[in-house]
Amino acid sequence: MEQRIEILPGVFLTAVQTDKFKTGCFSINFLRPMCRAEASMNALIPSVLLRASERYPDIPSISARLDELYGASMGTLVRKKGEVQLVGFFADFIEDALTGEPVFVPVLEFMAEILLHPLTKNGHFVPEFVEGEKRNLSNAIAARINDKRSYATSRLLQTMCREEAYGVPRLGEMEDVARVGAEGLYAHYKKVLAESQAELFYMGRKTPHEAAECLQRVLSALPRAQAFMPVGTVQGPAPAAPREVREALDVTQGKLCIGLRTGCTVRDESYPALLMLNAIYGGGVTSKLFQNVREQMSLCYYAGSSIEKFKGVMVVSAGIEFDKYTTAKDEILRQLELCRAGEITDEEFEAARRYILSELKLAQDSPGRLDDFYMGQVVAGLSGTMDELADSVLCVRKDDVAAAARRLQLDTIYFLEGENT
Amino acid sequence: MIRKDFPAVGEHYFEQQLENGLLVRVIEKPGFAKRYAFLATNFGSIDTSFTAQGKAHRVPDGVAHYLEHKMFDLPAGNAMDRFAQTGCGNNAFTSYAMTVYYIECTDRFEENLKTLLEMVMTPYFTPESVEKERGIIAQEIRMYDDSADNAVYENLFSAVFRHHPVRRSIAGTVESITDITPEILYDCYRAFYAPENMMLCVMGDVDAAQVIAQASAQTPHTVPAQLPVRDYGPDEALSVVQPRIEAQMEVSMPSFSIGFKCKSAPYGPERMRRELIGDFAAELLAGESTALYARLYDEGLIDSDFSIGYEQIKDAALLVASGDSDDPDAVYAALLEQAERIAQEGVDRAHLARLKKSELGRRLRGLDGFEGTCYRMCASYFDGAEYFDYPSVIEAITAEDVELFLRETVKPSQAAISIIYPKEKKEECICF
Repeated sequence: MEQRIEILPGVFLTAVQTDKFKTGCFSINFLRPMCRAEASMNALIPSVLLRASERYPDIPSISARLDELYGASMGTLVRKKGEVQLVGFFADFIEDALTGEPVFVPVLEFMAEILLHPLTKNGHFVPEFVEGEKRNLSNAIAARINDKRSYATSRLLQTMCREEAYGVPRLGEMEDVARVGAEGLYAHYKKVLAESQAELFYMGRKTPHEAAECLQRVLSALPRAQAFMPVGTVQGPAPAAPREVREALDVTQGKLCIGLRTGCTVRDESYPALLMLNAIYGGGVTSKLFQNVREQMSLCYYAGSSIEKFKGVMVVSAGIEFDKYTTAKDEILRQLELCRAGEITDEEFEAARRYILSELKLAQDSPGRLDDFYMGQVVAGLSGTMDELADSVLCVRKDDVAAAARRLQLDTIYFLEGENT
Repeated sequence: MIRKDFPAVGEHYFEQQLENGLLVRVIEKPGFAKRYAFLATNFGSIDTSFTAQGKAHRVPDGVAHYLEHKMFDLPAGNAMDRFAQTGCGNNAFTSYAMTVYYIECTDRFEENLKTLLEMVMTPYFTPESVEKERGIIAQEIRMYDDSADNAVYENLFSAVFRHHPVRRSIAGTVESITDITPEILYDCYRAFYAPENMMLCVMGDVDAAQVIAQASAQTPHTVPAQLPVRDYGPDEALSVVQPRIEAQMEVSMPSFSIGFKCKSAPYGPERMRRELIGDFAAELLAGESTALYARLYDEGLIDSDFSIGYEQIKDAALLVASGDSDDPDAVYAALLEQAERIAQEGVDRAHLARLKKSELGRRLRGLDGFEGTCYRMCASYFDGAEYFDYPSVIEAITAEDVELFLRETVKPSQAAISIIYPKEKKEECICF
């Protein structure tokens, strides 16, 4: 169904042709190694670019152009997959066939204008725009604390991976943002454009060939270096003894987060078994965590697990009363022991498999999820499709799941509690 | 079964009102793997005071949401277990005005729809099961209590509305839910879960006639009875309860919500027209394409999370501007000043025309989303309007409509500002 085409040196387009949707969608991503030295600069670049270009010198003119294109959306993308940071833009726009006038080509031209022709002053970015976006980025970094559930998870991962590149947050660190200047950022932007592998995704009614041709034309001015910055992820080791961390804030609900090393990533043959384990243990309403920690013990509203498939980390999280810390933690770990011992009922096993297979099929109706899947495949250096992954999930047996559970190593337990407990 | 065509959006649906009163609507989407069903009842958190069968009821806050949790229980077990057996995704939510149960699956749709219908048409509450849910819901409420986004909005509603029940939280409070019993749940169920008070929307690669036949066979063979009379309190004056409401929470910077109370539109198509006028007014006042937005953004008074739009929940209506800012009062002052300027100078006609084009494109694209489309169809139906009529409604809106709306709405006497400030900074306390 999909096709990956190299349209310029180091610039690849993954295109999926479909006429199911009224919306066409597109993304452009520059791949950078996750590291403190450039994480916050990388995160700043798309925001600064979306402030002003030569032809669209302010926010109202950018916004008016998108309105003219039948309310096309264009936004910044900053993603972190394992130890790779992907930065760029996405665009969603109405299909040409529904308007009787071209939208596809003008949207891509607009994207290229924003990417390649920023408004400059004295040969670099406009300092006021850089300062404004630095402030917004600092605020966004500080705002991590606003959503306590994701804050707890990010604090866990920061603690757990503090010696690894993965410990660098997606948007970088606040101190690093403060150090960025308009001149240095412009130089870095030039470097990112020229020296990064770029991955494009398109889904819509154009053929892959048509999309490639248009992109080749609008991106012809993209500078290309001789070699591109290599990117990749390494798995980290678990500590000799698990760490326990507590943090107090003025909150009414405690957040318990448990981090485990999976010893397996999306690149490993045993990955489908890990996927099954996650679904059985904490992946949905049929999972052991939901059924026991929530339904049986009424300890929480949510309790679940998720895996970071590139880095090889599993995070379990639950929102609980402060005084239920030990009860909840013990039960969560007890359920894991049951998985390790292979105590998985046929119902749990089959429900988990159906859940995964259904999710994989549903994703084919979601441009956003397909984009994310294919970008993930690229980052991991894989070429398989969702159908192939579904086939391999069908081959997983209970023993494989128990083995995947036995490979899990407890790394860090984090608890966000109230101030007077 | 009737087929209705909407050439302006390139869509059609099949629809039938069953003998029991349930409205079933199907949009066939061949080529999609996903099959989606959305069953909504016209019963939300605001329906706590009502008269049914001659008897007046005042039920605890949070009851609609509690009922939503308990609808999954069937005499033979939990419906979630049955969905799990077919790999069917399912969930539910409660808003101010409605309660919704939905499923999404790729296979065995008929079986899953049967479970959904059976689950929502079968009330089954025991003292034990109702008791057990209390702890789970209390944790859900605690989770919302820690959310500043939630608090800033709820505080605003309580400052703007004097009587209307939108001033109370959807899930209720940990205290209010302590009084909920199986009897109360049964009372609410009987009053509001009658088929004539509900709508079923289905989208995906399905056969409309088959879906309608199934819904007809698997919902109660009753005849529509009289619906309860709801009491939202005395008519709201346009003045607010208090012009300002503040709180402190664990957030990084102040967040704000500014509300301008509006006259509510009557039940019927006028509601949709008013909603669109309100949204265009919001866009022309401080949307991304305005000079005001650019100025506030450049001055660092707002960021890209700023939003402004019109909201109407039954007969409560307001224009809301929300965002994060170190100086929310400056944003508030700028909005008033800009409204004043528009009142004098009028709105830019070309700008409105561009916004209409944009809105038409966005709504058309929105039809790709099954959940959003079903939600809008149900909300419009419960408001007495036809969602797919939006193109002609948009077409007919004039600059004068927008100007009048802004003149009547954006003024200090009808406004309240809600602000959540960060806690005073203390020593960071991380113990390894």
